Amino acid sequence: MAVREIDCLYEACPVPILKAMKELKTMDPGDILILHSDHSCVGVAFNEWGEKNNYPIQVVEVEDGEWEVYIEKPK
Amino acid sequence: MKSITKWLKKPWPYWVGGILLGLLNVILLATSGISWQITSGFLLWGVGILQLFGLDPFSWEYFNHFQHYYSSVIVEHNAFINKYTILNMGVIVGSLIATLMASQFKWKKIKSKKQFIFALLGGIMMGYGTRLATGCNIGAFFSGIPSFSLHAWVFGVFAILGAWVGCKILIKFLL
Repeated sequence: MAVREIDCLYEACPVPILKAMKELKTMDPGDILILHSDHSCVGVAFNEWGEKNNYPIQVVEVEDGEWEVYIEKPK
Repeated sequence: MKSITKWLKKPWPYWVGGILLGLLNVILLATSGISWQITSGFLLWGVGILQLFGLDPFSWEYFNHFQHYYSSVIVEHNAFINKYTILNMGVIVGSLIATLMASQFKWKKIKSKKQFIFALLGGIMMGYGTRLATGCNIGAFFSGIPSFSLHAWVFGVFAILGAWVGCKILIKFLL
């Protein structure tokens, strides 16, 4: 299991989700992707997208106005 | 107070925001006589700045065409202080209060030169587009649909098409 991180700070929608989709394509099933963002609708967008595509997702507010999105590539 | 903060911290479902925006727009129209719009204020600020350089945009064909709409501003000769400016200030101050209450205020940096250039280009194109379409997605679409204006539907169709093209450009050149 590998863990990868992408930095999407100061990027607005839909850049974070597009970047994540691109990165996930190159990852193996079971790998974890951590995405850093300070865009407030990132949580809603990712939860909705994960539910539709069966990706387990966890969104954590690590700091005021800053979020980490944990995405697991399904097996 | 604590429960308000909690409410503001998590994003609201789209339907809650939609209903609130709709209600507030009705109240705004009833009290001020104008529906919610954003770019009219920016347009007039642009006029004000050009006036500082000695130009007189109010005499241009565009304002001749929309005379009925901007006549109150033209007559009072103040491009900066008018109800459209107050409307925009309200949006900025209101969202500032909301982010502060949710403790999510954050200064954002420019990520790269590329982001800066594309944002600038996008802004110029949007600004020009709003004048051709007489409004942005708030003035032309959000306020246009409930006032039964046909142009709002045309605007809506092309906004969707534009967003689709924008996404394609984004995927191809910016990621």
